[in-house]
Amino acid sequence: MNESTLFLISFILYIFSAFFYFAFLFSKKIKFAKRGYWAAAIGLAIHTAALVLRIFESGHAPFTNMYESLSFFGWSAVFAYVFVEAKFKLRKAGPYYMLIVIALMALASSPLMPKEATPLVPALQSYWLWLHVSITLIGEAFFCIAFVTSIMYLKAISKEKRGIDSESGLTSEKLDSISYRVIAIGFPLFTLGGLVFGMVWAYKAWGSYWSWDPKEVWTLITWFIFALYLHTRLVMGWKGKKSAIVAIIGFLAALFTYFGVNYLLTGLHSYA
Amino acid sequence: MKAITRFFSSVKLAIVLLIILTLASILGTLIPQGRSAVEYTARYGQISNLLIRMEITHLYHSWWFLGLLFLISINTIVCTLTRLKSKLKKTLRPKLEFESKMLNSLKVSQTFTINKGIEKTKERLKELLISNRYRTQEKTLKGRVFLMARKHVFGIFGSDVVHIGLLIIFLGGILSGLLGFKSNLQLTEGQVLKIPKADFSLKLDKFETEYYESGRVRDWKSTLTVIENKKEIFTKKIEVNHPLSYKGFMFYQSRWGWDWENPSVNIVIKDQGDTSNGINITLKIGDKAILRDKNLEIHALHFVPDFVLNERNQVTTRSLQPNNPAVFIKAIKDGKELFSGWIFSKFPDFVQQNSQKEKGLSIRFADFKTEQYSGIQMTKDPGASCIWAGCIILMFGLFVAFYWTSREIKILMEEKKGSTYVIIGGLAPKNRESFRVEFDKITKKLRR
Ligand code: HEM
Repeated sequence: MNESTLFLISFILYIFSAFFYFAFLFSKKIKFAKRGYWAAAIGLAIHTAALVLRIFESGHAPFTNMYESLSFFGWSAVFAYVFVEAKFKLRKAGPYYMLIVIALMALASSPLMPKEATPLVPALQSYWLWLHVSITLIGEAFFCIAFVTSIMYLKAISKEKRGIDSESGLTSEKLDSISYRVIAIGFPLFTLGGLVFGMVWAYKAWGSYWSWDPKEVWTLITWFIFALYLHTRLVMGWKGKKSAIVAIIGFLAALFTYFGVNYLLTGLHSYA
Repeated sequence: MKAITRFFSSVKLAIVLLIILTLASILGTLIPQGRSAVEYTARYGQISNLLIRMEITHLYHSWWFLGLLFLISINTIVCTLTRLKSKLKKTLRPKLEFESKMLNSLKVSQTFTINKGIEKTKERLKELLISNRYRTQEKTLKGRVFLMARKHVFGIFGSDVVHIGLLIIFLGGILSGLLGFKSNLQLTEGQVLKIPKADFSLKLDKFETEYYESGRVRDWKSTLTVIENKKEIFTKKIEVNHPLSYKGFMFYQSRWGWDWENPSVNIVIKDQGDTSNGINITLKIGDKAILRDKNLEIHALHFVPDFVLNERNQVTTRSLQPNNPAVFIKAIKDGKELFSGWIFSKFPDFVQQNSQKEKGLSIRFADFKTEQYSGIQMTKDPGASCIWAGCIILMFGLFVAFYWTSREIKILMEEKKGSTYVIIGGLAPKNRESFRVEFDKITKKLRR
């Protein structure tokens, strides 16, 4: 088995997972949601094997080109989901969330992404890079869950307003609270990976921990937005709709930090 | 003064400032920073003056951006301190009397009667709470028993720890900005360099470049020795990502290059038609070599590593890489100039002016030699340790704020005809679901 076969198998399992979750959505049969969960979990295990194999083959962290980075982002997204689903049972988020995972995996395997592991330029040879990128992406995966639950929240309130009750116990109130809880997991991870380890790495590699490079600034912007989310919610009592919108904007900012900055703006990080 | 305090203790101000900071930061990533005025004019035309005047062209160091950061720091300090006082008071001296109405209004609450005396009920309840790691406090007043149980009380100070960490990071940033500096050093092998603003010197013992099999650069390594008071203190091999640190100075491997100031060139001179190897001379730029038997003087006057003619037909170098090394030679025979012009190591047959061949002489630029230098970036950043301390405090605070969440249970008991009337209510601002499970477990056990 080589890395790309394993990657492909996990990709297919994620597609199955989405398929089962949609079956659940339309049939309301719990067994489909369970199958969806297991397909995602087994896919995750195989995807893990693919990443480990990649590390052994290339001898460095799997984040040096867009293919590796996207594949790891997909992995983080499923990892966060498997973890959160076991705790909060947000099955109904499954179909939409798995679509995002599939989009990430499809983008990773698109022919536009060069697959071969390239040797690392000197600045990238650091274990701080591993810590920086992996923890940031895992943190962003939790923001991604909050993104989905926030959108579902907005849908749920408009339904509830029209007098349609949500059947599966995933009420708008519960969605709102899950969004907060996953952001409470993602925020410390994102702070640690994106800001703290990023600063340590920059200090080790370039001699200054902060240089207002566009990618750094966008990480900070994302962080500010989630700080806004927490403060408006905790201190000003914002809940529900307003909070959901801030969470959605926050994830979009994270996404822009991840994709947009590399393609649209230039700076120190532009080799990634 | 009071008005100022009130202004700065408001969280609304913090939110407004955060929004402005976010928008300003976005603006700074859309407009390229720190370019020349000409470039801005070319790009933005008329409004470029405004951009420059508003310091949007170096936004993150502009007075107004730094001012915003300063305001939010003051905001954080005042806000944290004003709240801290009442938080501390509430934690250290909680009010142990409460009304049943207040308990009923808590997020989770229950009311029930137990067929036991008030003392027994209280002891049982305390036992249950303590086994769930709560700390209890009680008070008896006019036959009514007030019981208060809390756990993870420190959790409510998590956000204060976060803010303190943040302030320390700000402080570190200020220190770095005021006291930190950077400078680029160039060292060739064997060279000893006195470090500016420091009382020691550095010697470059060895400089190596490592390659991947494909030929791409894998790493650069410099072996450096710290010399203080003419004594060698220690030696360390530095590479990218692994700097040397001594007395608060950090030395980073940042670049390398060829030292084009002092190259030596290798020139081969032959008479036309001579089939031997000719005469091989090596000389430094600016020096001359005298060949007595031929009555010939060779001067090496200039050197460029990457020869190119600019638009005014002047010789310059295109890069600092030896892509097209050329040397300017003047040959004098019997006191008369025989030849002067550029000769090229890559193009031995091409001579720029005064073709030498006509004069019966061939001068060839065979080789050149120069030392590689190691480019080392030196920094001193007294703010950095402040930053790391702030980061640790910040992370600790975040962990406490989100995962060491406080829980509070309040109980009011009254004895009525041998049985006890109990009102119990609880509060866990951040972890409601699992608190509710715990609360139900405790009340169920109590009523059994
Ligand atoms: C970007 C800067 C800031 C960050 C990252 C930050 C972070 C945090 C965090 C993580 C919490 C805890 C939230 C929770 O437990 O859900 C918090 C709470 C809070 N923050 Fe900030 N904060 C920042 C700036 C400020 C500023 C400038 C103020 C000034 C007014 C402020 C006032 C508060 C208050 C009043 C609380 C609630 C405290 C409590 O009673 O628990 N924060 N902050």
